[in-house]
Parts: sequence; structure tokens; C-alpha cells
Amino acid sequence: MRTMQMPGPRPALLPILLLLAALLAGCGSTTVINEYRPQPATAANEIKKNESVVILGRRNRSDHETEGDFINCVGESLSSGSQGVKVIPEKQFVDSMYPYFEASTAPMDVRNLGNLAKNPAIARKFSDLNLRYFVWIDGHTETTDQSGTITCAVGPGGGGCFGFASWDDQANYEATIWDFKKLALSGKISAETDGTSYMPAVIIPIPLLARVQAHACTSMAQRISEFIQ
Amino acid sequence: MALWSGERVYRHCRVGFLTTAAGLLLAGCGSSFNLQTQAQVPTPVVNRLPLTVGVYYDDKFRHYVYEENTEDRKNWHVDNSRSRIALFQQILPSMFSKIEEVSGTSAAAGVQVDAILSPQVEEMQLALPRETYSELYEAWIRYKIRLYQPDGELIAEWPLTGYGKAEKGFFSNRSKGLNSAIDQALRDIGAKLAIGFSKQEAVRHWLDGRNNAYHADAGS
Repeated sequence: MRTMQMPGPRPALLPILLLLAALLAGCGSTTVINEYRPQPATAANEIKKNESVVILGRRNRSDHETEGDFINCVGESLSSGSQGVKVIPEKQFVDSMYPYFEASTAPMDVRNLGNLAKNPAIARKFSDLNLRYFVWIDGHTETTDQSGTITCAVGPGGGGCFGFASWDDQANYEATIWDFKKLALSGKISAETDGTSYMPAVIIPIPLLARVQAHACTSMAQRISEFIQ
Repeated sequence: MALWSGERVYRHCRVGFLTTAAGLLLAGCGSSFNLQTQAQVPTPVVNRLPLTVGVYYDDKFRHYVYEENTEDRKNWHVDNSRSRIALFQQILPSMFSKIEEVSGTSAAAGVQVDAILSPQVEEMQLALPRETYSELYEAWIRYKIRLYQPDGELIAEWPLTGYGKAEKGFFSNRSKGLNSAIDQALRDIGAKLAIGFSKQEAVRHWLDGRNNAYHADAGS
């Protein structure tokens, strides 16, 4: 009987592979979710099949910008899968409601949304979209710490990089959910995700990323979905 | 979903690449910066006032260009005149039943308008991420809006300030970042004009006066 032998890693490569595996294991991120509901969840809170949700970024603060990528990510996550809900894309919604949902003019609380809905033109648009929930997201992702250096050089015979860098990212987001049908605050969800990314460079830099923002997005979307379904 | 930390990888890589790229960067240091902005503002959803309004863009408004020549900003030349006019051409027809472009702050013979609106550029400021130690490109634009009777008498004037910011993304550069921030600032000005016009006290008095006169005429 013939047996096939799979070639194993060469002894010299083993430490490098082990190091990479250790680094990859460390690239994970942790997310802490907190939520607040002013009223207990009931069947009346469940979104109906024909109703829709709009996810909007709060952009009235001057020290940071809630990233458009993050808002799109939450929207896409919320609308995907068998339990997906109908999500109106942010830009489409804000453009169609111009000038009432700009950074400086958007309603800051549910009461103001109610006042805005008294405008017949806006009420008609809300009704056309069959809007049930407004989700306002405020926050951002930032690098909180970094260390290490990578040096790159180019010469006649070629080029390459050498070194090691790592950095810590932190994502902090808060979602405020308004029920348009009841004109009331449904609740708030906050997501805080931390993670460390590494980049060893031996000729080529290899980024080993902790996808902090992406993890915050999926965690937030999952919790919003549970909130409204 | 493009949520990998491209910006952060870039930040770490750039330290290393800085040395080798220094020569290339030095070649660009003395160059000027020219930007011609393209703003896109949606059609506003506002209640149209039953007025025929003349709009007068004076020479300064038509041709104002932000220019600066300092150590940090060598030969900066930011021209948003096309976006500026386009903004008013987009907003005003949604606010009033008829818009007519006029050649002065009083109506020429034969031109039938209820009022003349004239926007003026007061100030523009721009900020880069490295100047504010933030991850944002920013733009502030201040206009003054004047509203005249057809005979040239001033009805009201008020300031309009627009603010816009844009993220310093991995694929963005100074031109894209500032263009986006200016676009946002103009959008903000358009929003404040569309919502705030009837809320100006002097404008409200003028509108009330017109309504009273209309009802008095209708009743007599």
C-alpha cells in the first residue's frame, strides 16, 4: 500500500508560523454592548414587513465625524439575512428630505420629529417610505495607542521593509432609536469595541488587522435588529 | 463593506516610506494649489411662497475666489463661484413661485417683481487636518443676504453661515477633502436659507404687511 506524505513546515519556518499564529490570535477585538429601554419590549414594537428603518449618522459635533462607512455597514447588516428589514440608504433619505435632515437642521429629539411631520410635504414623504424607526448613530473609531516602527528602503537591486508596528483601535458608538409610529424613544444601544492590530514587515509589510469598526458594526446591527423585531 | 483599517495601515507604513519618498515630495512643495469646486445640492422640500422674486448676483459674488499666499499655503486659489451660483439657482425656485435674474438691487422699468434678493460673500475659511490636529477637512462660508423692495429700499438683511467637514480618508487628498467640505458648507447655507427665510423678523413683517394689503384689497 502506498501512502502519501504531506510535506510539513520546514524547521526554519516553524517559529515564524507560530509567531504569525500568535499574532493573529491577538488580533481579535472585544465588544461591550449596553442597552437602555424606557419601556419593556412588546409585540407592538415589532416592525412589520412593509415598514422601513432609516439609519442616520449624527454629524453636528465638530470634534469627530460619524463615518459614512459605519452607517452603511449597519444598514447593510440590518437588511441582510432572512430576518433582514427594509433599510432606506442614508444619502437617499437625507437628499429626499433636504433641508430638514442636515447636520445643522436635523431634529434632535422625538418631539422635534413630530413637529417636522406636521409639514404636509414631509409627512407625505414619510408615508411613502412607510417609515417606522429612525436610528441615529453617533460616534467614531480612533487609534488610541501605537508603537514600533517600520523602515523601508529602495536600492538598485530592489527594495523592502523591515520592522514591526502595532496599534490599538477603539470604536465608540451610540444608537438612539425613535419609534415614529408612537413618536417615542424606543431605546439606546451603545457599543464599545477595542482591538490591537499588528504589522510585521520582513521585506513586505503584512497587516494583521483587528477589524474593530467592523465588529462594532455587526454587534450594533445585531442588537438593533433584536430591538425592533 | 470597506471597514478594514486602511487609514491606520497607511499611517504606520508612511513613516517608513517617508525617507524614500522625500525627494518626490520635495518636488511638489513649491507648487500652487488650485481648486474649482463642484457642489451638488438637492431640491428642497419647502412650501413655495407666492412671490415673484428678482435675484441679483453682484460682480463680487459672481467672481469671488478664495486666495491665500502664505508660508503654509503657497498660492492657494479656491474657486467655488460655479457652485455658489448653482446653489441659489437650485434653492430659490423651490422657495418662490417665480424667480427672475435682475441686473441691480432695484427693478428696471418693465420688470415686475415683488422683491429683489441679493446674496453677498462675506468670508470663507478653510482648515486642513494637519492644522487642526484632527482627521477632518473643514470649511466655513459666510454670506450676507439682502432683500430689497422693487424700488431698491432695503427690507431685511441677515447673515448665513455654512459649515462643512469631510473625513480624511485613505483615498482622499487635499482637493477631494476640501471640495467635499465646501460642498457640505454650501449645502448647509442652502438649508438655512430655505428654512430660515420666513423666520427673519423683518421678512416676516414684510410678508405680513403684504398679506394684510392683499386681504384689504380683496375685501374692498
